[in-house]
Order: sequence, then C-alpha cells, then structure tokens
Amino acid sequence: MGADPVAAVTGDRPVGVAIVDDHPVVVEGVRAWLANEPRLTVLATGDDPDEVLRAAPDADVVLLDLRLHGRMALDKLAELSAAGRRVVVYSEHTDPQTMLAALDAGAVAFLAKHEGREHCVETVLAAASDRPYVPPALAGAMVGDPRPDRPMLSDKEREALLLWFQSMSKASVARRMQISEHTVKQYVDRARIKYTRAGRPAATKAALLARAIEDGLVRPEEIGIYRSQATHDRTTP
Amino acid sequence: MSADLNTPALTADAAEAPHRRSVPTPREPVSPAALAAPADVAHASDRGARIAAVVIALAWHVAIALPAVLSARTEFAAPAVVLGAWILVAVTGAVAGVRLLQGSPLPPWPLAALLLVVDAAVFAAAGERQLFTAANWVWGTLGWFFVLAVWGRRVLGLIALLSTHALIALVAVLGHGPDPADVARYVMYVYGTFSLPVAVFVGSTVIVGLARERAAVSAAGHAMAAERDAAERGLRERRDRLALVSSAAGRVLGDLAAGQADPDDPEVQRRCMLAAARLRRLIAESDDVPDPLLHELRAAADLAERNGLPIDLVTIGTPPPLPVEIRRRLADPLTGTLADARGWARLTVVSGSDEVVVSLVTPDREGPEATGPPPGEHDDGGPVQYLYERDGNIRWAQTRWRR
Repeated sequence: MGADPVAAVTGDRPVGVAIVDDHPVVVEGVRAWLANEPRLTVLATGDDPDEVLRAAPDADVVLLDLRLHGRMALDKLAELSAAGRRVVVYSEHTDPQTMLAALDAGAVAFLAKHEGREHCVETVLAAASDRPYVPPALAGAMVGDPRPDRPMLSDKEREALLLWFQSMSKASVARRMQISEHTVKQYVDRARIKYTRAGRPAATKAALLARAIEDGLVRPEEIGIYRSQATHDRTTP
Repeated sequence: MSADLNTPALTADAAEAPHRRSVPTPREPVSPAALAAPADVAHASDRGARIAAVVIALAWHVAIALPAVLSARTEFAAPAVVLGAWILVAVTGAVAGVRLLQGSPLPPWPLAALLLVVDAAVFAAAGERQLFTAANWVWGTLGWFFVLAVWGRRVLGLIALLSTHALIALVAVLGHGPDPADVARYVMYVYGTFSLPVAVFVGSTVIVGLARERAAVSAAGHAMAAERDAAERGLRERRDRLALVSSAAGRVLGDLAAGQADPDDPEVQRRCMLAAARLRRLIAESDDVPDPLLHELRAAADLAERNGLPIDLVTIGTPPPLPVEIRRRLADPLTGTLADARGWARLTVVSGSDEVVVSLVTPDREGPEATGPPPGEHDDGGPVQYLYERDGNIRWAQTRWRR
C-alpha cells in the first residue's frame, strides 16, 4: 500500500470510503446513504476486505460488516486496525459484548445497522479525521460495560453516555444535565477516548488519542496511563 | 448404613405396615429433606440400641466370663483352648462392635460361623466338670455376639444361630453321659441364653421402627403446614393483585358498561389502553421467569406494539433480583407514558449490580399531561427515583433504582 492510510484527511478532497458487506442490497443501501453527502465518495465495494482494499488502496475509511459469510470478522478487523486502517464496524449484532470486542480490536467506531443514515455519515466523517463518534447503541454498551478492567469513567461521562443512549438527542441530554451540547459531546467523546486503552494496541487507537490531545479533548498529563499502551507507536522519546 | 435399616426385622415389618397407611401425606411431593428426616431419626435411635448391644456383649465377656475362666483355668480339659477361644472372641467381638458402630458391620455369616466353631471347641475343651459353670463362658457370652453379628437382619437368623448353639450344647451334654439333673440344667441354660438376646434384638428393632414412623408423621405434618402457609400467602397475593387490577381497569370497564363512557371518545380509548397496559404488566408480574423486570417491560412493550406503536426496547446488562415493589415502581410510571405515546417509543434498560435505569422516550406533542405526575423530578426518598420531562422535542420518563 503506497498511501499512508492514517495520514490526516485534508479538507480539499472528499473522504474515500470502501464498503465491505456480503449483502449487495445493504451495500447499495449504504452507498445511497453516503451518495447524498458531498464530503464522502465511495471508492470500492465488495464482500472480501482484501479485494476491496486492493481496488481502493487509498480509501480513508473502511465500512466493515462484522459478519461476513456467516462468521465474525473480528480477526480481520484487528489486522486492518493494526495496519492503520480506519475501520467503522457496522452490524446488526448490537449486543454490548460484540460492540466492545470491536472497539478492543481497534475499530474506530461501531454503528448499529438500524441507526440510520445520519449516524452513518457522522461516524464516517469523524472517523476520517481520527475523531471519535459514539452512536447511541455504542454509548449503551460502554455505560453498561461489566468487565472488571473497563476504563474508569467519571460520573459526568457515565451520565452523558447513559442519557445519550436513552434519548438519542444531545439537545435533550444538554437540557437534562444543564450543560451545553458541546460539553455533552465532550463528555461522550472523552469516554470513548478512554476506551483506546482497552484491548490490544492498534495504530488507529494511537491516532484517535493523538487527535484527541491535539483537539484539547484530553490533556497530555491525563494520558500517563495510556502511554504504556501506545509505547510501540511512539517514535520519539 | 441405611441398607441394613431398610431390611426390617420380621416383627417390625408386621407391626409397621398397618400404621404406614395412616400417615397423613401432603398433596405436593414431600421434599427430599422431609423424607430424610425420618431416616435420620431412625438412625439416631438405632445407634443407641447398637451401643447398648455392644456394651452388653463386651461387658459380659470381660466382667463375668473372664474372671470365671481365669479362676477355673486349671480345671478345664484343655485350658489353652478355652482361654485362646476367649481371646479370639474378645478380639473379634471388639472389631465387630466397632465396625457395627461405624456403620460398616463385618459380614454376618462368616462371623457367625467362626462363633459357632468357637462354641463347639469350648464345649469340647471345657470338660464335664466345668460344663455348667460360669467358666464355660460360651453359655452366657456367645448369644450377645450373635446379636452383634446379625444386627439389623431378620430375627430368624438370630434364632437359627441360638438353636445351633443349643444343639452343640446338647451334643456336649449327651456326650458326657447326662443324668436327669443335667438335662434340666441344660433346658434352663438354653432358655436363659435365648430369652435375653432375642428380647433385646426384637425390642430395638421395634423401637427404631416406631421412631421412624413418628418422625415421618411429624415431617408430613410440617410439610402440610408449610403448604398451607404457601397457599395462604398465594391467596393473599392474588387478592392484592386483584385489588390493583380493579383500580387499574375496574372504573373504565364500569363506565363503559353503564354507558357513561363513549368508546369513540379518545380519552376513553386512552384510559382503556392504560388499563390494558397495567393488566398486562400485572399478569406478567406473576410469571416465573429469570428476568422479571425485563419480562414485565417486554409485556408492556408488546402491548404498545400491538396497538401500532413502533417501539424499540434495548436492554444492557442483567438486572439484579429486585422485589416486586421496586419492580412496580420502576415500570409503572413508564407504563402510563407508554399508553400515551404516539409515533414511536424508545424503551431502554441499563442494569448494573447496584443500579437499574429504565427510560422511555417518545416524541412530544401538543396537549396536556394525560397521565402520571407533572414533569419534574419525583424523589420521595425511596430507592426509586422518577424523572419526567418534555422539552417540545421529546417526552422523557426515567426511573432509576440505586441500591
């Protein structure tokens, strides 16, 4: 692969998307969703991740159906994420374990298939710029994460995730918490960034974290605990 | 241990059968614990009898037979045989006694055969002069060891052993050329050696049987009392639920029946829907399912869906076991909002071990609050907090339980 897939997407050209799904109807549906968004362009589609990426080596974001030909493609997901591919998993399997496993494997985001066009476009755009986007279903999985080694979320972060999962309206969450919508999004995104600690290290996780620091979402002194996870991605001491 | 208890002696068997029918039996199958209780009582009772039998046998052998044997040791025809036999029986008897108390008795018939061989040997070795003295210890002692050997079996076995013993003694008496006084003594001795061991043996079996029966009667009585309590509690719960149902559906049904309510009136339709939702939830409440809260919410969601409302029910985590009162307070306020919902609804449940949050979101629309308390936070200090608000965009009801 010639291009560096993790390189930040510039605003000059539309974001290139590759769609991997073994149901042609779904591929067409997602293509139709994205077609209405001028900032996105679909470069290749197919049911085999390797073939699709051979056809579109410069794709900025890969939309991956987690269930390909009857089996969960978690290992493929991990492989792509380790190679720095920004993978947005979308699946009808929205049980919390599956969603958290996808995050652990390095998926930039997890989208439930029923969450529709709006979330889909938002998620892909955020993923292309290494920014987190947490659709409501994923917020539910994170707030209910029962694993003992789950990331420690603050009370506000938990509450924002919970209310966002319940209401699917950031405006309503903001009113309920008596904070601005922007702050709601910050709480939700910070919670997501804490999840870059979970599971094995991946280039995509490091990129999310780096962008979060750059954006001021998390402060460098807050990420001491992340550093050990990201060690192999550090090039300078 | 229960194996020998389950082999009832002849007498106990006959005495027990007619009583067994009179034991009151509960309708429900009795729990294994209740069945075990009579066996435990019988076991405890039998253990007492075993200890008594072992003590009698060994005490007789040591306290009465031994001094007599020692004082007459020079007068036996073959003293070594008599003394050796005494030691053999003392050791074997002690082992048999210990094993019996431990519940793993020695095999009865080899032990009995050994005792009979000893019996014959001692009769032969005692000699004519010691035939009817205490020094011929097999007269007094051996019967008790027979009791130990065949403990827990039919009394016929013991009688057979004692008869053989009597026969051996008879051969010995006849062998020495008896006079009429010897025959009289013989009869007396045989009577003495028979009566006491048989009495103890039969008595203990009967006592064990009676104890078991009394315990069975008592256990059955307890089981019936427990069943009656459960039935009464069930009845009380049904009555309570009926009262709730009446308050939920009774009035609107009454109004409809009396013609005071018009089925075309949207308000009446809404009241009917709310009543139906409550009824559905109350029915679900009495179902025996692993996740009662989710089951009850699912029931309410099913009903809303059947009434044409697209509803999204998402659950995260498994709720801990919650008392019905808490479940009602979590579900009931949302049932009202759900009955009122138009367009779509999103019902979510997020559960952890010490927190359960249930939320219902539906589109907001014009019109006054039809059901439930006005918007705001309702916290009565109880373990369940209720929050309801509408912001022109959505109506949002949330109940939250914290441990």
